[in-house]
Amino acid sequence: MKVTVLQENLAHGLSIVSRAVSPRSTLPVLANVLMATDEGRLRLSATNLELGITCWIGAKIEEDGSTTVPARTFTDLVSTLSDREVGMSLNVRTQTLNVRCGASNTDLKCIDAQEFPPMPAVDTSDGLQIKVSELKEMIQQVVFAASTDDARPILTGVLMTVKGGKVTLAAADGFRLSVRKADLASTSGHSISAVIPARALSELARIASDGEQLVTMVMPRGRGQVVFRTKDVELVSQLIDGTFPDYEQIIPTKFKTRAVLSTSAFLKACRQAEIFAREGSHIARINILATGELQPGSVEISGQSEETGSNQNIVEATIEGPNILIAFNVRFLREVLDVIRTPNVALETSTDTAPGMLRPVGAQVADGEFLHVIMPMHLGS
Amino acid sequence: MSWDLIGHGWAADLLAEHIAKQQLRHAYLITGPQGIGRRTLSLRLAQAVNCLRPPAPGQPCQACSSCRQIERMQHPDLSIVHSEPPSIEIKIDQIRMLQRTLALSPYQANYRVALLLDFEEARENAANALLKTLEEPASRVILVLTAESIERLPPTIVSRCEHLRLRPVPVEQLSQSLQSQHHIDPDVARKLAHISAGRPGYAIELEQDKQRLDQRITWLDDHYRLLGENRVERFAYAETAAKDKESLRALLPIWASLWRDVALQATGASVPLTNIDRQAEITTLAERFGLHVAMSVIQLLEHTNELIDQYVNARLAAEVLMLDLPRR
Repeated sequence: MKVTVLQENLAHGLSIVSRAVSPRSTLPVLANVLMATDEGRLRLSATNLELGITCWIGAKIEEDGSTTVPARTFTDLVSTLSDREVGMSLNVRTQTLNVRCGASNTDLKCIDAQEFPPMPAVDTSDGLQIKVSELKEMIQQVVFAASTDDARPILTGVLMTVKGGKVTLAAADGFRLSVRKADLASTSGHSISAVIPARALSELARIASDGEQLVTMVMPRGRGQVVFRTKDVELVSQLIDGTFPDYEQIIPTKFKTRAVLSTSAFLKACRQAEIFAREGSHIARINILATGELQPGSVEISGQSEETGSNQNIVEATIEGPNILIAFNVRFLREVLDVIRTPNVALETSTDTAPGMLRPVGAQVADGEFLHVIMPMHLGS
Repeated sequence: MSWDLIGHGWAADLLAEHIAKQQLRHAYLITGPQGIGRRTLSLRLAQAVNCLRPPAPGQPCQACSSCRQIERMQHPDLSIVHSEPPSIEIKIDQIRMLQRTLALSPYQANYRVALLLDFEEARENAANALLKTLEEPASRVILVLTAESIERLPPTIVSRCEHLRLRPVPVEQLSQSLQSQHHIDPDVARKLAHISAGRPGYAIELEQDKQRLDQRITWLDDHYRLLGENRVERFAYAETAAKDKESLRALLPIWASLWRDVALQATGASVPLTNIDRQAEITTLAERFGLHVAMSVIQLLEHTNELIDQYVNARLAAEVLMLDLPRR
């Protein structure tokens, strides 16, 4: 292998793939980054067997080939190179990579590319397409609700279902549920249901570039993997084995009280209440009061702590239905309000022991596009 | 036979049949003494379920890339959990890591195989953390636990696994296999078969590490000499021996194996002796002390080893042992 690349491209590529490097593994090769020539470009890949990231960068290729370089050493080296052009050539027999850049000359000990676990070669022609910006927003709106407790592995994933031109992401941790639907950029005949690790989706949201680009999603048959591909980056994730709970059952179908209030005011009130509630049991008490026919109602959000004190905030709201006092985990409320983009949000409740539902309100949101269900907490005394 | 084991043919046949008839259990527990072949059998099972070109159903080819990666214990779908030195315990974090891995569908093979070696070393909370996984692992996961005996595991673990108990390989069979499969001289093979007490792994280790064989002879010499010495000499020996805890732990079972032979000799049993090169000493000791004393010395040595495992002051334990050893 003999290639020349720009230092900034190489550094950028390594920063993208290095998130998937696993330095402490039983397989030494997983601490390395696969570097291979691929149709006029240089391919960089890393995998920790759960998540694999591949990135293609422009390169001048004189001789094809591949090897794996120690990720940490190579990244540290590349970040200190000062010249624009980096020349690399591999001695296949000794698996030594010579890196030249300006006056700097380095020999790196590499591991044969054969040792690297095979990454799936996918045919993206029949993949599903979705806008990058939309997918990123979807991920942000559900991923925080996934469980972090490995005792129930299935809940550490996000359920993705594709049916009739619509894609749905859902995540739950036993106390809350977040569901987001969207239209696909391309319609697809086959329906899909798969549980993707939340960590992989967070990583996808991080590395996917902004803008109107399209991301293609493919699930190679029988491999238990999902592949997301943009122009220069590909992310492969193992799927979680198992059946996701039937979350439709948890979504309340009716409500008694519906309060519509300003998202930003509600979020601010929750932030303040959390300052006190986080000391104790994370309880925020929500008192929904409908005052009269022609007057706006109000929602009082309060948090308190034995040690630090208490805080109340009153937010104006439009209320339908009877008054209610209900308690929620304030962190859960704050996390969902953080990802609701509309100026107004609806809080739907029925009793203080039944789950509450939050959904964005506005002309631009389609019905049922995003919803979030939270279990209430005990009000206590 | 493509499982290529020394002995344990019944276990290989059973597992091969499970694979061929698609009756694989989700969890196996393989017990037996150190070096008997528990890990080798587990690896063969992992190879057999994931072999790319099985010569016959349930048989690993041992030549394809998958088989070779598993043999080196470097397969993407093979997870190995064991106590990581200097710790002598399997920790709960290791189990949690494993659970994370096992939740994912296999990377390239048919099954994810998790190997939990010497599971008696698991802390109580680690063993408990595994229960849920043992009860309902994902569909394409096989767990294989190895342990010295089921008595050393929580019953909740044992009851969730199919148990295979490996017994020592008959001395004659082991001697033959060492000659045919590992090209060891007949005399050496016969001696190794005896000294290893039917444990193929241990026999091969001894063959490859001559130092350990020499060490064994030194230790047995020391022991016989000490039996004739007074307290001053014995205490001096205890002080030196206690300095290296690891070697003390290795030394005690070898002394115990000598007393086992003494006990066997005293009863006149026809069971093959372990320390066949020590025939004269064994006979002398058997005539001098008889079965009863031999049994109590074995217990004493085992007890001392347990104490050292439990972090008792090694020198103190060694000195107590020296006081209690009979005088020739």
